[in-house]
Amino acid sequence: MTLKSQLSLLQVIVERDLRVLIKSPWIVVHRTIFFLIQLFVFATLVSQLIKVPGLDYFRFFSIGAVISTITSIAFIIGSDLFEEEELGLLDYLLSLPFGHSLFVLGRALGGALRGLVYVSPMLLLVALLNGYFSVSGILGALLVLFVLATGVSGLSITLAMLIRNENRFDIVIALAELGMVRVSATIYPLQFMPLAVQPIATYSPATSASDLVRTIILGSASSGLEPVTLLLFVAVFFGLGSAFLFKKIEGGRFE
Amino acid sequence: MIEFSHVTKRFKNLDAVRDVTFTIKDREIFGLLGPNGAGKTTLILTMATVFRAQEGEITVNGSSVSSEAEKVKEQIGISFQDPKYDRILTAREILDWHGKVTGVEKRERARRIEWVLAKFGLGDESRKRTWMLSGGTKKKIENAKVFVQRPAVAVFDEPTAYLDVPSRLMVWEMIEELRQEGSTIMLATNMMDEAERMSDRVGIMNRGQMVSVGTPLELKSSLRGQDIIEVRVTGQPERYAEEIGQIEEVRKVEREEGALRIYLSDGRTLLPHIINKISAKGGTIESVNLKEPTLEDVFLHYTGAKLG
Repeated sequence: MTLKSQLSLLQVIVERDLRVLIKSPWIVVHRTIFFLIQLFVFATLVSQLIKVPGLDYFRFFSIGAVISTITSIAFIIGSDLFEEEELGLLDYLLSLPFGHSLFVLGRALGGALRGLVYVSPMLLLVALLNGYFSVSGILGALLVLFVLATGVSGLSITLAMLIRNENRFDIVIALAELGMVRVSATIYPLQFMPLAVQPIATYSPATSASDLVRTIILGSASSGLEPVTLLLFVAVFFGLGSAFLFKKIEGGRFE
Repeated sequence: MIEFSHVTKRFKNLDAVRDVTFTIKDREIFGLLGPNGAGKTTLILTMATVFRAQEGEITVNGSSVSSEAEKVKEQIGISFQDPKYDRILTAREILDWHGKVTGVEKRERARRIEWVLAKFGLGDESRKRTWMLSGGTKKKIENAKVFVQRPAVAVFDEPTAYLDVPSRLMVWEMIEELRQEGSTIMLATNMMDEAERMSDRVGIMNRGQMVSVGTPLELKSSLRGQDIIEVRVTGQPERYAEEIGQIEEVRKVEREEGALRIYLSDGRTLLPHIINKISAKGGTIESVNLKEPTLEDVFLHYTGAKLG
């Protein structure tokens, strides 16, 4: 199979995730309403309570809300795999004329792209609220979100492959999401966190993504390490997720 | 041609498919019969590269399932027993995506989708989300995927389950058309009339093994001594019983009031001979009834199971 036909098939695999997304507008509406309440009720209120020199909490939180939303959406891909196996859809998908590795790649990219479609309007709103209008900057921020979502999709796939029970998976995934967002600088600044968790939070991919997007849109200072942490996270979990899913598929799903 | 050679697929301690060897010829409709859990679906999914066999080899038109999986998958289309697609999507969207992923060119895809939707009478329903549709309609959409794809090897698992009689006839006609175009068909079914009507040859699976393969006629003929001729004669039928019982192919003769029940092999050939014997002795025949083994009898014989 030529590279062109492989890419064309990859596009069709990703397209399925997007077609399903378009047919589920209530999920987008729900997430958007949740986001707007978080931003205009929670963040507005808290920013009036917090009086720290040099910190505009509303602006800080607005970026964090986008990061936490895309993290939450990217985690869904693991649940999708459980559902697809339960409904027997996985048998159908695996019988289609593409290689298993292309399928794995397509699913992880599809999950990430789906997350990006969800949060793009949110990011645009946040940029607008912060008076940021650079197209290239917004595209850069979207790239950061896409990279984070790809890594989170990989983590979700890895967990789905390691945990065979869907109920247990749901619990673990909720804890993972909680840990990733709460033990990070996504919705509060690192220096106000308990000292014991600060080292962990520093290297959280959610911290790296939040800091990068804040650097782009808010002009915050950057340590320069964020892209490294983020790419490392993607490499490890995209690789692990792909390897586990590949192994499960190749070995026969029920073994 | 599809060749299964000593194929074994094991799940932990369960041999779902055990040492299965048989061949499906080009452009053949091959009926696959077996009770639930016999291994039919596992065999199909192993051929489709979803499962990997621990032992043996399968080749599809010369391509090895184990080493040329993508080449194999390019040739196969499966209509699953339970519809397998995203139920949030409409029939049109499902068929379009399936056609696209299986490489059907855009214009041809649109033409085939219109054709199959019209054949199944799915005008308005084709625009509804499929979770809202009846079981029969969902099944039609599952079959429609393969009719849009038109693969070299088409697999239908219970293609007429949940369908009404006109739709069943329609599906059979469309499967036959597919074969006329050059496809090889694998038809897994629990319906004996379907297997007998559609299949050139039939394979019966039981407990993971292929226990018998042949044309429906060959399989029925394999049950020797299971034909029954019931002859109702005037007078005393026992007068003829002894002489008929001496015919080599006759296994047993039972006497009933005014009738003889003759158990034998190849009843169709021997029927004139038996009638002649009775007539020669002056008997007058009121009625004759020949009962030959059905495919269901064959199935029962090899599997010990009744079909649900």
